[in-house]
Amino acid sequence: MRPMLKITDLSAAVGEDSEAKTILNGLSLDVPAGEVHAIMGPNGAGKSTLSYVLTGRSGYEVTGGSATLNGENVLDMDPETRAAKGMFLSFQYPVEIPGVPVMTFVRTAMNAQRKARGEDEISAPDFIKKSRDVAKTLNLDAEMLKRPVNVGFSGGEKKRLEIYQMMMLEPKFLILDETDSGLDIDALKTVADGVNAMRDPSRGMLVITHYQRLLDYIKPDKVHVLAKGRIIKTGEADLALRLEKEGYDGVLGEAA
Amino acid sequence: MTTALRDFIKNPTPAELELVARYGAQPEDSRRERAFLAFAETGLPHRRMEAWKWTDFKAALKALETPAAASAKDPLPHEGALVFRFTPNGFEAPVNMPEGIRMVEQPGMQAFPGAENVPLGALAAALSGGGKRPATLIFEITSGNLPRLHFVFSGSGQASFARIVFLIRSGASLNLSESYLGGAGLTSTVLEFDLEQDTAINRAIFQRGGADEALAVTGIAHLGANAEMTQTTLSFGAKVARMETRVVHQATGAKLNLNAAYLSGRGFHTDITTNVRHGAPSCVTRQLTKGAVLDGGTGVFQGKFFVPRKTGQHTDADMQHQALLLEDGAQVFAKPELEIYADDVECAHGNTCGALDDAQMFYLRQRGIPENQARAMLTEAFIAEALGKADDSVREVLLAEAQNWLSS
Ligand SMILES: Nc1ncnc2c1ncn2[C@@H]1O[C@H](COP(=O)(O)OP(=O)(O)OP(=O)(O)O)[C@@H](O)[C@H]1O
Ligand SMILES: [Mg+2]
Repeated sequence: MRPMLKITDLSAAVGEDSEAKTILNGLSLDVPAGEVHAIMGPNGAGKSTLSYVLTGRSGYEVTGGSATLNGENVLDMDPETRAAKGMFLSFQYPVEIPGVPVMTFVRTAMNAQRKARGEDEISAPDFIKKSRDVAKTLNLDAEMLKRPVNVGFSGGEKKRLEIYQMMMLEPKFLILDETDSGLDIDALKTVADGVNAMRDPSRGMLVITHYQRLLDYIKPDKVHVLAKGRIIKTGEADLALRLEKEGYDGVLGEAA
Repeated sequence: MTTALRDFIKNPTPAELELVARYGAQPEDSRRERAFLAFAETGLPHRRMEAWKWTDFKAALKALETPAAASAKDPLPHEGALVFRFTPNGFEAPVNMPEGIRMVEQPGMQAFPGAENVPLGALAAALSGGGKRPATLIFEITSGNLPRLHFVFSGSGQASFARIVFLIRSGASLNLSESYLGGAGLTSTVLEFDLEQDTAINRAIFQRGGADEALAVTGIAHLGANAEMTQTTLSFGAKVARMETRVVHQATGAKLNLNAAYLSGRGFHTDITTNVRHGAPSCVTRQLTKGAVLDGGTGVFQGKFFVPRKTGQHTDADMQHQALLLEDGAQVFAKPELEIYADDVECAHGNTCGALDDAQMFYLRQRGIPENQARAMLTEAFIAEALGKADDSVREVLLAEAQNWLSS
């Protein structure tokens, strides 16, 4: 069966032509629908770069290879088109949007996606009800959702708001970039519960993290190690444990 | 007479000759003459004058011509307001005026002090009146419970001028809105505000003009003790448009909120110029100007605070200007100026000019919001702050007008 997300030999660079710097260097990775794959790897390895290249951020030039979602080449699509196809990125560093309240933002996003898919807009009461339910699951204060997106939010609040957006938008393919960093112990559990609730045979997930702890809650089907712009090792859930114990040098030394 | 008048302006352009002729047609009056001479000193303001180096009326307005399109539609609500209209044919006021407001249509010209600082204001003072329009319209406000006063300025033909004076008596307050809708080749309006002590005014200004029109609105205000003035401008510009406000803090404790948003599309030029003099101790000024400009559009911000050594002590003043260049080819010129001679003051200013933030744009688009909509959303949020202090009765409309422009 064709994997939901299929990345083949992907290379990408940042910067202007003359000083372009290759960050992803022949990266291949398959995530079948219904599975959760974790990506671990040293700082600067290219994990966030991969998430940006997959979601279409400008400033990253794909220099080779391909990436398909359900067989469709995503690399040529606008970011908003990819979003409407179900790609969602929980940002490592969520962005502040002054002057735009969370609810307005999410409702605009939801309706834009629905419109792109040829679906009807969500009604105001339905939206509010859904928002209330999601906020409750995530222990989010209703007042927070009236504030401008991420402005003045604590690090952990920003991460929880990413998950709020994810649960509201119900994307098909989720990329979580260090969603666990900055979360306190209880929030980590809450967020993990939220993510687990999204697990579904039709949904794929890529979870980028540095810590085993998140993977205690969100059990991955596979763990990949990304270093120097490519996947250099793939294993089962226990690989994360070994990495935590032995460090990248220990595990990768053996791979090299 | 005409030859003598010709000599008023050196090397006059056809437009200036026409203005001289219009002056010649006005009844003779030494005050009018003084105002016109103040204009004639320079003629239509041009780029070789420091205060007009980015906004050149002389170059933009070679001849006075009737614009291609009629004046814009007034978006501000009329319900619940006392509406005054300067129409192409005259002036209309409500038949019944509530207590606390007295309107005088002065056929003769009132003295216009400070004319030399505001050439287009001086022109408006010198050429207003004639036909069914009063030379000077005077309002005396003695109540704090008046409905909003709404003024509509829609002109036609080659030129249109008006002058209004507001005397706000001690303890009174005024909610005022003005729509400048163009319609004439050259429109110049001057408003003077005299706020006695313990008065308040909330003034909202909406301006929209054609791409072949020149338009100037000059406001001059004097604030008495503890008087509070709040002004919010939303300006879409014209071929050239100058929205100029000069305020003098005249007595202790006066407070000024001076906000503006300008949105300039291709072929439009919008100039926000302000001059605030802290001529009394312990006065407060808060100024926020935001602009968004498209390819082929121009925005100008010139702000000046003047704080004299003795009278300006304990001044608390802040000037912020932030502009968004929405496309390549957008132009913004800014000159924030603090001239401070007093030592015990708090004065700050900030001036930024740049494109929309890439990270914010990507965040919105990643969530599925299309590029144009994302740009409009971010720009609207950016602009909205400058409209936040407008009165409840007009704020939403101003926001909606900005939004329409951004999403069109
Ligand atoms: N715009 C850019 N210009 C130059 N270098 C860049 C740019 N963006 C990323 N890089 C570099 O690319 C490399 C990969 O960055 P990336 O953010 O993908 O790492 P990461 O694996 O997510 O690291 P971390 O674990 O610290 O989040 C880093 O060396 C980074 O400095
Ligand atoms: Mg990263």
